[in-house]
Amino acid sequence: MYAALLSNRYLTSRLIPFIAIGAVGLCVALVVTVVSVMSGFLDMLKDSGRRIVGDVIVSTGLGGLPYYEELLADLRALPVVQGATPLIDTIGLLRMPYPHGPTKEVAQVQVWAIDPASLVKVTDFAEDLYWRPASGDAANALHPDDPRRSLDPEIVRDGETLTQSATGRSGIALGMHVSIGNARQADGSYLPRYGWFMPGHDVTLTVVPVSLQGRISEPREQIFPVVNEVQTGVYEVDRNRVFIPLSDGQRLLRLDEAPLYDLSAAPDENGNYPVIGRTPARVTKLLVRGTPGVHANDLRAEVERVYDAFTARIKKDGARTARAPEFVSVLTWEQQLRDLITPVEKEREMMRVLFSLIYIVCAGLILSIFWAIVVEKVRDIGILRSVGASRLGVMWIFLRYGLVIGLAGSAVGIALAWIIVRNINAIHQAIGSDAPSIMWMGAFALAAVSFVGLVRAALRRRILPMLLWLLATFVLGLVGALLFFHKGTLIWDPSVYYFSVIPDQVDWTTAWTTALGGVLFSVIGAAIPAAKAADIDPVEALHYG
Amino acid sequence: MAESASILEARSVRKTYAFGSVGVPVLLGASLAVREGEWLAVLGSSGSGKSTLLHLLGGLDRPDRDGGEIWFAGERLELAGGRRVDAYRNSSIGFVFQFYHLLPELTVLENAVLPGLVGGIGPTARARAKAATATAHEILDSFGLSHRLRHRPAQLSGGERQRVAIARALVNRPRVLLADEPTGNLDSATGSGILDLLADRHRAGLTMVMVTHDHAVAARATRMVHLNAGVVEFGAKSTL
Repeated sequence: MYAALLSNRYLTSRLIPFIAIGAVGLCVALVVTVVSVMSGFLDMLKDSGRRIVGDVIVSTGLGGLPYYEELLADLRALPVVQGATPLIDTIGLLRMPYPHGPTKEVAQVQVWAIDPASLVKVTDFAEDLYWRPASGDAANALHPDDPRRSLDPEIVRDGETLTQSATGRSGIALGMHVSIGNARQADGSYLPRYGWFMPGHDVTLTVVPVSLQGRISEPREQIFPVVNEVQTGVYEVDRNRVFIPLSDGQRLLRLDEAPLYDLSAAPDENGNYPVIGRTPARVTKLLVRGTPGVHANDLRAEVERVYDAFTARIKKDGARTARAPEFVSVLTWEQQLRDLITPVEKEREMMRVLFSLIYIVCAGLILSIFWAIVVEKVRDIGILRSVGASRLGVMWIFLRYGLVIGLAGSAVGIALAWIIVRNINAIHQAIGSDAPSIMWMGAFALAAVSFVGLVRAALRRRILPMLLWLLATFVLGLVGALLFFHKGTLIWDPSVYYFSVIPDQVDWTTAWTTALGGVLFSVIGAAIPAAKAADIDPVEALHYG
Repeated sequence: MAESASILEARSVRKTYAFGSVGVPVLLGASLAVREGEWLAVLGSSGSGKSTLLHLLGGLDRPDRDGGEIWFAGERLELAGGRRVDAYRNSSIGFVFQFYHLLPELTVLENAVLPGLVGGIGPTARARAKAATATAHEILDSFGLSHRLRHRPAQLSGGERQRVAIARALVNRPRVLLADEPTGNLDSATGSGILDLLADRHRAGLTMVMVTHDHAVAARATRMVHLNAGVVEFGAKSTL
């Protein structure tokens, strides 16, 4: 019982334990804040990735997958499947309407030829269409130059169908950063740049068909009107990807249904070989979304099983003019996006490890503070031994002291991290804005008060108060000057980093493990001085000082 | 007072302190028997080994290897384990020091109760603490300190501090009180008051060993021995 009494008294009767608690708290808050934000980014990245590609992706080579409609029907019949959609994934060149020197700008793009009607059941394509007309209060809240204030309501349907309703032409939806026309703002919205608001402009897409034998054919091109733009949430996608209707993609890439000629027969008078059938249309990918609650790995296994049955059926059917590839890649969204996710995961773990080194600082700090306390308390230790306290009992006083500092510091750290993380966007916004006059004026006023204190201390010839008031005057004056000259520093620029908001959820697993580490290292830091205290000879201790 | 059997005894005790590689002998075979109920004064000049002898009797220190025996109520203390000696210091004896040695962070009451908070676990510890608190209240009240219970040692006079220290030594109702120059840091009037207080306790049956260099103080004891050059001499006696 005396250990509890003395630990509490040592804790509450001096300033230094509160400094230790503050230090442990700052260490814990630092780790929890950094890792929470990193985890939040990772979650946002994963969430965005899954929204873009669904749960499972079936991919073939450039030759494509024939009879895909049959396979889609098989997949859609599964109770674990919510939706499945075909697409062609290839690369192309996009000639923009705006100039690049004497010619037009040409950008390399990733082309997704999609079936919008089924894609929306698998991905968030419809929700990702950025340009939507705003009206009423929502429109008034927008920047005066924001195109959404005066958009044609048809723009959404045009995007969803990839068809320009006014002309009936097949349209193209560009990733938000494919063109130079969109300038991202601090709030994550976009304003037209250089006068190039892309919807309504024509662009020319050039793709290169590849034969089943891998030979490159003559490049083919098509002019598309831009019907909308897409913001998926992943910068790499929005910078490169464009969407066109599946039928156009199949035609451009020669993956559409076509006559099959008998080249062994003699050609007719026009030089045409006799038609002996039709080759089926093809796609290069299928995206599958599972019903809610189905794990992607389980869905993947089901898709593989269905595909095996599909290829066996095609193979057996002698009337078929094409064979399904025996080997396709069936990956979950996580496997598919591994290149994107893994670096962020590694970065987070590296941050966790690097910042966890701060525990050593924590333990060192506690050790040095406790060492000083033990030296100061040598006589107390002698007194305690004289009334029968055991060596372990003396040791426990200081271990308990360290434990309390670790617990209190960790609690402070978690609370601090929670406040910072939950308000990180507001804090960021405040840093990004001019400092209010009241803040720098307040700082200067406090600096003036400190200066008066400094003068009074100088008149009384007291060195310590003089030093403290001098420091206060200097720090407050510096803060006031910084606030006065602060004109907004945007640390997290959404035009550079993709996400427009910083994650504001605490990673509680990290928070609790970090708190546990804080407590553990505080006790470790206290253990050495505690052992020293236990080893102090009581007779020497009583004569100490 | 009728003579009775010794409760605490030092037999040919030797103690040497090491200062680096140099050994400084302090006790050279000191023998002393403390009889139950007596107030024994150990008189000696500075450096004669009085405090060392008291520390050995109180289990705060141990004699040299093969450096004699310390007996308490038929038990050899120098052979006892650490826990046993801790319990001995806690329950069987009480120390009073020249410089009071109160814990500055604790109040008067908490200082006095302190030995009652040592030892025991769970309900036993709580019961001990409760009993010690009641005893501390009673003793402090009898010492005229009931209005000072919540004060810190720094707020007390020297005499008051020493009374708190005596209360602390008595709170676990020890069989022997060991006092090391209990009036050495006090003026003569205050010191006399402290001696009166000790005399009251002796009259109530408490066995006491008091070391001092002051003959007048030693004269208050029922028996006096001299410690000279590390050896106890039994030449002088005094009775109340």
